[in-house]
Amino acid sequence: MNLPNLTLADFLPLLPAIIMVVAASVLLLSEVFLSATASRGYQAVLTVVAAAASGAVAVGLMFEPPQEVFLGFGVLDPFSSFLTLVVSVGLGLAALSAVGFLRKRGAERGEFYALMLFASAGMSLLAMSTEFITIFVNIEILSIATYALTAYLRRGTRPSEAGFKYFILGAFSSAILLYGTALLYGATGTTKLNDMVIPLQQALHGNPALVYVGAVLIAAGFAFKVAAVPFHMWTPDVYEGAPTPVTALMSAGVKAAAFASLVRVFLTVGKGMDPKLPLMLFATLALLTMVAGNLMAIPQRNVKRMLAYSSIAHAGYLLLGVAALFVAAPGESFRVLSASSLSGGTPLDVARSDALRGILYYLLAYTFSAAGAFAMVSALERREDEEKGTAWDLERFAGLAQRRPGYAFAMAAFMLSLGGIPPTVGFMSKLLIFQAAIDVGLVGLTIVAVLSSAAGAYYYLRVVVYMFMHPVPEGAQPLERNWGTEAALVISTVAVVLLGILPGHVTDWLAQAGTLFGQ
Amino acid sequence: MVPITYYLLLAAALFCMGMFGVLVRTNALVVFMCVELMLNAVNLTFLAFARMHGDGIGHVSAFFVIAVAAAEAAIGLAIVIAVFRSRGSVNVDDIRTMKH
Repeated sequence: MNLPNLTLADFLPLLPAIIMVVAASVLLLSEVFLSATASRGYQAVLTVVAAAASGAVAVGLMFEPPQEVFLGFGVLDPFSSFLTLVVSVGLGLAALSAVGFLRKRGAERGEFYALMLFASAGMSLLAMSTEFITIFVNIEILSIATYALTAYLRRGTRPSEAGFKYFILGAFSSAILLYGTALLYGATGTTKLNDMVIPLQQALHGNPALVYVGAVLIAAGFAFKVAAVPFHMWTPDVYEGAPTPVTALMSAGVKAAAFASLVRVFLTVGKGMDPKLPLMLFATLALLTMVAGNLMAIPQRNVKRMLAYSSIAHAGYLLLGVAALFVAAPGESFRVLSASSLSGGTPLDVARSDALRGILYYLLAYTFSAAGAFAMVSALERREDEEKGTAWDLERFAGLAQRRPGYAFAMAAFMLSLGGIPPTVGFMSKLLIFQAAIDVGLVGLTIVAVLSSAAGAYYYLRVVVYMFMHPVPEGAQPLERNWGTEAALVISTVAVVLLGILPGHVTDWLAQAGTLFGQ
Repeated sequence: MVPITYYLLLAAALFCMGMFGVLVRTNALVVFMCVELMLNAVNLTFLAFARMHGDGIGHVSAFFVIAVAAAEAAIGLAIVIAVFRSRGSVNVDDIRTMKH
């Protein structure tokens, strides 16, 4: 057996994940030397610094040429580096909003931040993985850390219930995904995506059933992870029951990483199939997810649960973008060209790479808006109300504009952004995806998307109405302030507004980020 | 020698039994065992295909799956204990505080 001769430079692409793992290990080890009452303020700071450092390294790596790392078990391309940046942003914001949340509950411990960092390292590596066992292991790294985080607050019935549901359905979906990969391995004799293209086409002529069943099982496994209807049942309960900062990390990071891997896997596995099949699959998922997510969110008075359903709806818009990647002219196979070779492409090539750009911009936009909204939810909730389930009621937001105008303004920005209303980043990102979908010819589906996002505006704006037009309820408790939450709110508000007003630079940059290895 | 197809059929049957069990059983521990059954069915599939292709990838994959399943068991049982401590039951039907 010949072992690869790795040099230090081979580890450079993994630097963002290495930073996160080292920071997590430092947090875990330092906890050994601390007494129960010692000040633990440094833990969140260290986490945020690690997130910022990995984000900065990811930005630097984005300008590296696409390349295989570790013998094709992973790749470094601008796409994966951009996803690492999104994950770092989600991690940083979630860690900031955890400061006040944990202090109020007396639950400040190094393990919490360490688990967040381990989960983020898994997400970052998942975006890079191009080999099925590596993909599986990274999905499990991020999932197992998130299961533990969900059940982190052991007192009370909700967190353990949420943790249990998340664990069972997460493990179930991982097993389905893994069975799909086993079948694809059987059909092709390899588990590396980059080696799979030619054996896959041979298998499609010889033994197509294995490939199709395998691909469907893999799609179902990913559909669970991104919470697409009809695989969404766990989402509302888990998002509601998990500690709010963890919900922020789940909605931002886990979803982004799962989408990245989904796109990467299917751009390879779909090759050689009739392009209509992946298109039909993702178009159906997108349709169901958009419509059902929005409809189920409308009656919710519980803001945290409403945001859970809204995250389902957003997965639907993203799936519309994914479906647009698989539109091909007759006799042509879908491909997403990199920015440099795009000038020679057909209009459909341009539209498909616009769709990929749209997905990436949407993931960044959703990360800022959702993480901000969850930071706000965690700022307003009180521990005593949790068991009654009223901690997240719309009434909590009544009259917020009189009590804390800054908070109300920030939340209004997040709600407008999630609802896709200008001048916010949510509007720009929806515009990119919808435009790309129309350019490839998915007109009917885009009309449904626009209509359902108009229906979605109702429940987002209802929060704004409560904040600005309802009186402060009598006997309202004073709001506690916390530097972490306020920092998270300021950062996400600035990003939501700035990226909405000045998207030009970012979209130029995204044209670069939409470069995938091997396409 | 037993043909590969038989192994694959056995694995598919085990996988379906596990999947069915996760969906219908009410005891949390049994549900958890059914997930493990699904993972082991995957292992059997990997090994059968590894024999068919005559390479090592399938064998290595099975080891990774076993390692990950062990990690999952550790966290899963901890969560089941947390559920039991907070409500005195591990019946899935009792675990439904959040419904609107």
